[in-house]
Amino acid sequence: MSAPIVRFRGVSKSYDGRTPVVAGLDLDIARGEFLTLLGPSGSGKTTTLMMLAGFEDPSSGSIELEGKRIDTVPPHKRGIGVVFQNYALFPHMTVARNLAFPLSVRGTSRAEITTRIAKALEMVRLSGFGDRRPQQLSGGQQQRVALARALIFSPSLVLMDEPLGALDKQLREELQLEIRRIHATLGVTIVYVTHDQSEALTMSDRIAVFEGGRIQQLGSADAIYERPANAFVAGFIGENNRMEAVVADSTTLRLSDGTMLATAPHGFSAGERVIACIRPEKVHLAEAGQRAPVTEVVYLGDHCRLRLSYAGLPDFFAKRPSLDGVALPQVGEAVFLAIPPTAVMVFRATPHRE
Amino acid sequence: MREGPVARRLLRLVTALVLAFLLAPMVAVILLSFSPTELLALPPRGFSLRWYGELLDSARWMLAMKNSFVVAGATTVVATLLGTAAAVGLQLGRFRGKAVLVTILTLPMVTPYIVTAAAMFFAYSLVGLTGSLPGLVLAHTVVAVPFVVVSVLATLQTFDATLLRAAASLGASPATALIRIVVPNIWPGIAAGAIFAFATSLDEFVITLFMAGPGQFTLPRQMYASVREFLSPTILAAATMLFLCSLLFLLVSEALRVRAERRGRA
Amino acid sequence: MRRTNWLAALLIAPLMLLILGSFLLPVGFALFTAVADREVAATLPRTRAALAAWDGVGLPPEPAFAAMAQELGQALEDRRIGDMAQRLNFERTGMRGLLLRTARAAGRLEAPYAASMVALDARWGEGDTWLLVQRAGGPVTPLYLLRAMDLQRAPGGGVQAVAAEEALYRQLFWRTLGISLAVTALCVLLAYPVAYTIAKLSAPWSAVALMLVLIPFWSSVLVRSTAWFVLLQREGPVNQAMMALGLIDAPVQVVGTRIAVVVALVHVLLPFAVLPMHSVMKRLDGIYLRAAASLGANGVQRFLRVYLPMSMPGVLAGAAMVFLLAVGMYTAPALVGGDRDQMVAWFIAYFMNREVNWGMAAALSAYLLAMTGAAIGLARVLTGGVATIGGRA
Repeated sequence: MSAPIVRFRGVSKSYDGRTPVVAGLDLDIARGEFLTLLGPSGSGKTTTLMMLAGFEDPSSGSIELEGKRIDTVPPHKRGIGVVFQNYALFPHMTVARNLAFPLSVRGTSRAEITTRIAKALEMVRLSGFGDRRPQQLSGGQQQRVALARALIFSPSLVLMDEPLGALDKQLREELQLEIRRIHATLGVTIVYVTHDQSEALTMSDRIAVFEGGRIQQLGSADAIYERPANAFVAGFIGENNRMEAVVADSTTLRLSDGTMLATAPHGFSAGERVIACIRPEKVHLAEAGQRAPVTEVVYLGDHCRLRLSYAGLPDFFAKRPSLDGVALPQVGEAVFLAIPPTAVMVFRATPHRE
Repeated sequence: MREGPVARRLLRLVTALVLAFLLAPMVAVILLSFSPTELLALPPRGFSLRWYGELLDSARWMLAMKNSFVVAGATTVVATLLGTAAAVGLQLGRFRGKAVLVTILTLPMVTPYIVTAAAMFFAYSLVGLTGSLPGLVLAHTVVAVPFVVVSVLATLQTFDATLLRAAASLGASPATALIRIVVPNIWPGIAAGAIFAFATSLDEFVITLFMAGPGQFTLPRQMYASVREFLSPTILAAATMLFLCSLLFLLVSEALRVRAERRGRA
Repeated sequence: MRRTNWLAALLIAPLMLLILGSFLLPVGFALFTAVADREVAATLPRTRAALAAWDGVGLPPEPAFAAMAQELGQALEDRRIGDMAQRLNFERTGMRGLLLRTARAAGRLEAPYAASMVALDARWGEGDTWLLVQRAGGPVTPLYLLRAMDLQRAPGGGVQAVAAEEALYRQLFWRTLGISLAVTALCVLLAYPVAYTIAKLSAPWSAVALMLVLIPFWSSVLVRSTAWFVLLQREGPVNQAMMALGLIDAPVQVVGTRIAVVVALVHVLLPFAVLPMHSVMKRLDGIYLRAAASLGANGVQRFLRVYLPMSMPGVLAGAAMVFLLAVGMYTAPALVGGDRDQMVAWFIAYFMNREVNWGMAAALSAYLLAMTGAAIGLARVLTGGVATIGGRA
């Protein structure tokens, strides 16, 4: 791998001098990758993005761009494109003049500007919209313009702060694909902030999961989903049945009501308190096995969701794909669960926080 | 709330009477200013522009008008520049005590003009600023500038600060962003403040009475002196013209307000 | 962030400096002038030094007499005696005559000065005369602030009322307060139904009515006061109209009366009451009144218990604004009022322009500022800090 385009080293940020918003962040961003910062609100992901853009100053640590420290470089000299959640299109300018803005402040020639505006509009499929005012466009169109504006001056790095948050689901999915396509075409590095995990899983090369000002896990979408590093990531990405347990021996956990669960708790010794997580879709319904009464059935089309009472937990969920000719379980019935040992993820009881 | 028909009619009658009370004096003055005789009788017996002719022929009145417009123009320029800059600074800055700063900058608005006038007269006479047009402009700027600050601050409330970040991310320096992004978005507020500043200076009388030199008559000062001297309908012609100026300012500022509201909604 | 704050400071600084230099400092200087006592110290420095050691009993020692005689003579020669003479004369009538007379005779006075000065004027033989000079040595004096409340320093220390025939200012302040409160009350009473009705009017009419309020708001106080001056003339339209209606037989003198002052002030200030009330009432949502009605309140109860309290911030803001402007108003009373209807502002101008007694002008300004500040403070407290005061006059 070539030298990273961005390098965070020990970056911390606190507004009041005591509670850290970002704590000791180390992160290398590879050239050309699509990196998503994912986390709940207040986890520090947006602050991280804003420090990279130059709108916030780190309290300590250093940020390097292309191998040079940028701590003292003002935002307008960093040459980083930014797409904002509310688009931030200049309302007093037409679409074309919005697009021309970053070029004209750089002293680009008028002829060059005209050509590049035409290209940019074509790229976001808005040719012919140059003379419109932002207010005359739909939300999706405005976000395309914002995208084009952030890319038109050919930055090698583009930051996106929940850019699709204000759009409805269908439009959001359409634009997700569009951003992916642009990323693939232009080869720019994109750092993307979202709290929407499905968006993160769809789009990213790598995902950094934020919580409490720290990166809990950094990895590809499948690594984060399949092999969460801790209980927080396991709970935040996708759905999970979370159970407190004690390691019985090298092949078994004992849940709090005494139910035994087969798995291989690597790196834990007998008697240690742990958290066990099982994704609902990994819970199989079988002809025999551990018995669990059904308390709720929700039909969701391609699958149905069962709320079960299992191992003393009133809210244990299982997903069952819709199959032809197989009747749904009814509330009050009991089903039998088969939980493959590989489906059980075991984590330290105290999650990584501070 | 729905009041009974009697109550509603009564309320409307009271409102009409109060509005008539508010407007009647100006209507009377306008009518009287077209009177062909010196007699101040209503309804006027005939119509004549005689007093307007006298106004325009009078060197004193014309000088006063010139002084008024020179001072008001200079005041507007200085007050608008400084007031807008300060308002933008107040909006941009992230520091404590902003409310205190706003209060200090708008103090001249709530200080009785007579106190301001007396204080300025004391202090300006020490540095030789009394009796000079620059001194008068300075004094008028002090009382006019709070209106610019308040007006621009109000418009800035509707200005989206993300636009500044967007401008910076696109490579615009803070100064460029200020000129190309902030000013075009808040100009109705700036213009409204400028108009208010101009009107304030044009109408200002108490401070001028103290600060202006013997030859520096402005329209209000000339009007006051004339009323005390001899009540000629020429004064009414001058009053009518000042009133029409105010009316013009009102219409323009209302148009700006409507425009700003539309923009705020968009 | 830091850069932004620098930019912000840079943008605010010019105006801050302007306000500081040409408003705050002058006002501060004026307030100091209300207690400053510079004239005697500036004109009679050696006399002041000679009097410093005097215990105030009997007469001061000979050096004080000698210094006084020489310095008075010198001051007369240099034409510097006026301010000091006026300062001492203001505290005790007759001092100007004594000082000028002594100054003119300074060349003929000789040692021992104590004897020759008393021979010139017996008042130099009175301890009170010398006490007056000693106490006027500065740097500060409560003289003007006391006098502006009709008080003075008693000879033996302490404070006493001035002679009844010299008392003037307490009455002036009561008059100013009375006129301002009456005007405020009238404005609120007239403005409330107007603001209410305008807030209730439907679309085009409410804008038109509001415009009719804004027209006088934008036109100058002087123009409107002049209008009243014209209308209320003996031969003016109001008298003519009243005679034509048979209300009066002969023209009455209105200009120069208290009624004229109140009418003109109400006219000038009424828009300042209507506008804040209207802006509050416009936002008063009908939903609260409907809720009150659904809870069983009748029309009167809805008004008294829901609408009136909710419109109170506007009423208080308007009232504070009107009072604030009325209390400091110069133009309207000066034009349509008589000598007995003038308010504090007129006396400030009088002391500035005619008497050239800056101490009194400053002392009256200080009290006027205090009244204004109290009005703003009261409005803030009553509205819980909501009321923003602003406008022009």
